Amino acid sequence: MELSWSTFLLEIINFLVLVWILKRFFYRPVQSVIARRQQGIEQRLAKAAEMESSAQELQQKYQGRLEQWRGEREQARESLDIELNAEREKRQAALQRELAQQREKAAAMERRQQQDQQRKLELQALEQGSEFAARLLEQAAGPELEQRLGDMLVDALEDLDDVRLQQLRAQLSERDMVAEVASAFPLAAELRQRIAELLRELLQREVQCHYVEDPELLAGLRIGIGGWELDANLRDELHGFAHLARELAGA
Amino acid sequence: MEAGQLFPSALFRVGPLQITSTVVTTWGIIAAIWLGCWLLSRRLQTRPGAAQTLAEGVMTAIEEAIRAVAPDHVQMLLPFIASLWIFLVIANLCGLIPGIHSPTRDLSATAALAILVFLSVHWFGIRSQGLRRYLHHYLTPTPILLPFHLISEVTRTVALAVRLFGNIMSLEMAALLILLVAGFLAPIPILMLHIIEALVQAYIFGMLALIYVAGGLQSQMLREQRKENEDGEGQQR
Repeated sequence: MELSWSTFLLEIINFLVLVWILKRFFYRPVQSVIARRQQGIEQRLAKAAEMESSAQELQQKYQGRLEQWRGEREQARESLDIELNAEREKRQAALQRELAQQREKAAAMERRQQQDQQRKLELQALEQGSEFAARLLEQAAGPELEQRLGDMLVDALEDLDDVRLQQLRAQLSERDMVAEVASAFPLAAELRQRIAELLRELLQREVQCHYVEDPELLAGLRIGIGGWELDANLRDELHGFAHLARELAGA
Repeated sequence: MEAGQLFPSALFRVGPLQITSTVVTTWGIIAAIWLGCWLLSRRLQTRPGAAQTLAEGVMTAIEEAIRAVAPDHVQMLLPFIASLWIFLVIANLCGLIPGIHSPTRDLSATAALAILVFLSVHWFGIRSQGLRRYLHHYLTPTPILLPFHLISEVTRTVALAVRLFGNIMSLEMAALLILLVAGFLAPIPILMLHIIEALVQAYIFGMLALIYVAGGLQSQMLREQRKENEDGEGQQR
């Protein structure tokens, strides 16, 4: 082991040459590439930062717009709720009114139906009563009943008030004073005389009575003088009863 | 392997210069490095391939190591320090190739590198702060320490050369002895140790060189900082 000066010097030169070679072919190119890449990275970072800032601006802008839209939406929803509530209340009121009207109409219809039903029942009762009375009176009709009805007619003529008598006398003043007295059975002479006297007394003039028999009267009398007619017989009374029942049914 | 091959021998002569196997091996290493760098420089792209990634990784690692020691002089120190590391790693690992001896097993080569480190310390120191101000740091903190500074310069340079030479030569000698005694496959663990030792020695040599050079630069920086602090305190008063 000894120091070789030739090797020593040549190694120094060799190393210096190696430093030059590495600097020329390794350090500079590699550093240049690294610098270019670093520059590119910085440019991309700057561009990315710029894009990020613009994205943030856009995000803030869109967030602001979104908030505005949300506010407008809430406002529109509130106004819509108000309109819906008003419309609902309006429709509810209209429905309540319509329901009240329908209820009233139904009640009226029900009342009418009840009235109709009641009227029918009353009419039916009247008709049945009339029919029952007619049958009863047909079976009960006879000279005795006619006598009693004649008495009742005489009593009724005697009980006429003055106003009615005056009207009767005025109506029959110019007419032919022939009275037609109809009866279901032959009248007794006493009753005939009494009727003639009573008519003459009431009308204060001579009245000629014409007596006829009409079996359809069932029992009682009918006195006709001109347009005036005085009934006291079962047929007319039953007809009047039935007529009253029909009038009630027609009403 | 003959015993005579353990030490570098002269292959031929060029005039007064004796060309040894160490020099030839160094030329081969330089040629290989040049070829690799030339091929690499032709294919450099912004999107690196595998080789470029490796090269950039080596470059970045060396830069970071220098920046950790001398952050203000990275570009100035990078060529020298990085060249030391690259050359020493390759030169130390050359011993693994059969028939080729590591140049660093030759004291002449390690001494040449140590002398280059010694000179570079002064070169970078004078270059950064001037001759007078650089020499002034030998007198700090007191002129009494000047002999110790000078002795330190010599001894650390000798230590650099001998440490690398001793380690690499001993590795090769141990591998040779085990090969002679144990057979063909027995030195494989020693060869693995050779790889680790080669990397460690290259790192130690380059790091020490970096520390020596940075020490010369930072002494000036420390003085400037001290002066700035004194000026600042004077203005406050």
